[in-house]
Amino acid sequence: MGSTIAEKILARAAGKDRVHAGDSLPVRPDYMIAYDFPGYTDVMFRQMHDDFGIRSLAEPERYVVFIDHMLTRGNAKEQEVHQVTRDWCEFYGIELHEARGIGHQVMAELGYALPGNFLIHFDGHVSGAGAFGALGWGVRRDLLEAWVSGQIFLDVPATTRFELTGEFAPGVDSRDLVHQIIADHGADGCAHQVMEYAGPGARAMPIDRRQGLCGMAMFTGAVSAVFEPDETALAYARNVARTDFTPQLPDADAEYAAVHTYDLATLRPRVVLPGSARSANTRDAAELAGTPVTKAFIGSCASGRIEDIRAAALVLDGRSVAPGVELNVVPTSEAVHRQAEDEGLLDVLRTAGANIARSSCDFCFGYQKPLQAGENCISTGVLNISGRMGSTESNIYLGSAFTVAASAVAGTISSAGEVGRS
Amino acid sequence: MSAARDYPPPPDVIRGRVAWVFGDDFDIDLVIGVENIKSYDAEFLRGKVMRAYDPGFADRVRPGDVIVGGRNFGYGHPHYPPMVALRDLGIAAVLAESFSPGFWRGETYNGVPLIAVPGISAEVTTGDGVSLDWRKAAVTLDDGRILRGTPPSDRVVRVIEAGGSLKLLLAEHAR
Repeated sequence: MGSTIAEKILARAAGKDRVHAGDSLPVRPDYMIAYDFPGYTDVMFRQMHDDFGIRSLAEPERYVVFIDHMLTRGNAKEQEVHQVTRDWCEFYGIELHEARGIGHQVMAELGYALPGNFLIHFDGHVSGAGAFGALGWGVRRDLLEAWVSGQIFLDVPATTRFELTGEFAPGVDSRDLVHQIIADHGADGCAHQVMEYAGPGARAMPIDRRQGLCGMAMFTGAVSAVFEPDETALAYARNVARTDFTPQLPDADAEYAAVHTYDLATLRPRVVLPGSARSANTRDAAELAGTPVTKAFIGSCASGRIEDIRAAALVLDGRSVAPGVELNVVPTSEAVHRQAEDEGLLDVLRTAGANIARSSCDFCFGYQKPLQAGENCISTGVLNISGRMGSTESNIYLGSAFTVAASAVAGTISSAGEVGRS
Repeated sequence: MSAARDYPPPPDVIRGRVAWVFGDDFDIDLVIGVENIKSYDAEFLRGKVMRAYDPGFADRVRPGDVIVGGRNFGYGHPHYPPMVALRDLGIAAVLAESFSPGFWRGETYNGVPLIAVPGISAEVTTGDGVSLDWRKAAVTLDDGRILRGTPPSDRVVRVIEAGGSLKLLLAEHAR
């Protein structure tokens, strides 16, 4: 029996010829990524120094830190958090990337998320690295284990394979796919597993749609997701690579927990009801027509990339955001922001009445312009649990950038097709 | 970020009662209310814990009690304070049909035995006595029946025996 992509990546990182789903063993990540956040990085740095007595790192190049949260208020408290991070990174010689955008995107632009690499982070959305054939695993506070020992004990996960055919219909994208997968298989449909995406539909999918899809893996219960690296992923990787890399493909006789097939052309715009992304909350956008919204958000580590901004511009070109609705668009990184500006997309959005904000995580977790009680927001953020974007008495609906833009125009939940743009 | 209190490792066999049974896809943040998830103050959290479910919960829980969940327990972005609050009251373990990986990993780090036991949520109700041999993932019910789940890996056993990952790592790596 052969190996899946995840088994091959973990075998290489563990220094083994083969590993199998269910094995428990220490694995050496290529990169150990974090963003500064109070109670996480600051505490972990202090523990590393004070509790473990570590004064220098043998391989500082394996540690990567981003400052991508709390960039927008500029108050003393957040400045202090950032300064602590800068000081520790300087002390240990760790590369720090500040205010270049959301780390889960910037790690790709800077050549960390390379095919075959194994990356860990305390935040599970590092799974977006799977777009490039890398394996990104959110390990919570066990990141400290890797920081102090260079390795982390893992249970090798089983894999569910998703064979994708066809291409998205106009007005539909990978957000609709992931919410359909959750609707079909449950919020634990791939629990403790890796999702492996392959097939002609996967190969036809633009790279940033793959990033959004892989970045949402945790909402199926998966620990990660990974695409078979194809020429699209390899071309991106070769352009940004800071090291050599070894792409991993699954063996033809790899053992999978399950195999599911999706024809992308059959998918429709999906909207998730407030509360969670669990399967029973997923609806056809048309079922929610007429639901009023006051806020609309396009951004986050899942859905603020150039394809999302192109989608929004397509819908908003020559139209206006409805009175009483605030549409906030946050390009996922500074590089995405520049590209969107160069393509003229941001002008289209501004003319339609959208607010373009600096690249950061701050809207998605309710730090910037938090929702007020009674507000309805339609969002491409990653999570819609109570209080995620502000008041616990506000409501967050999830949808694709097409759907968010269309809803902003209509003032009520709508799909792009319903406003004549798809 | 660290828990407000230091918790010793659990005994070999945890004996207590089922303090509550949650459903599928339960978001642990709801134990204390989303508006309170930034607090690590055990006294503050004591006044919030389980208020939405059972106002008498904090007064009736005894050390060794367990909570029981359905499928995918800990769904969402699981923050740490809800389990700080529950452990402070004496909750010694969580038994569920299955766990959301992020919650499982985060609370295993904190030294909580999180044992997946298929069938558990249908077989017990609040107030039932349980006896949990956590290394074997074996739950003995009031009527003597034994439900068996997935035993933790050797590494996870060591984490729990140490009272959490930080303590195990300190024993292994402190200079």
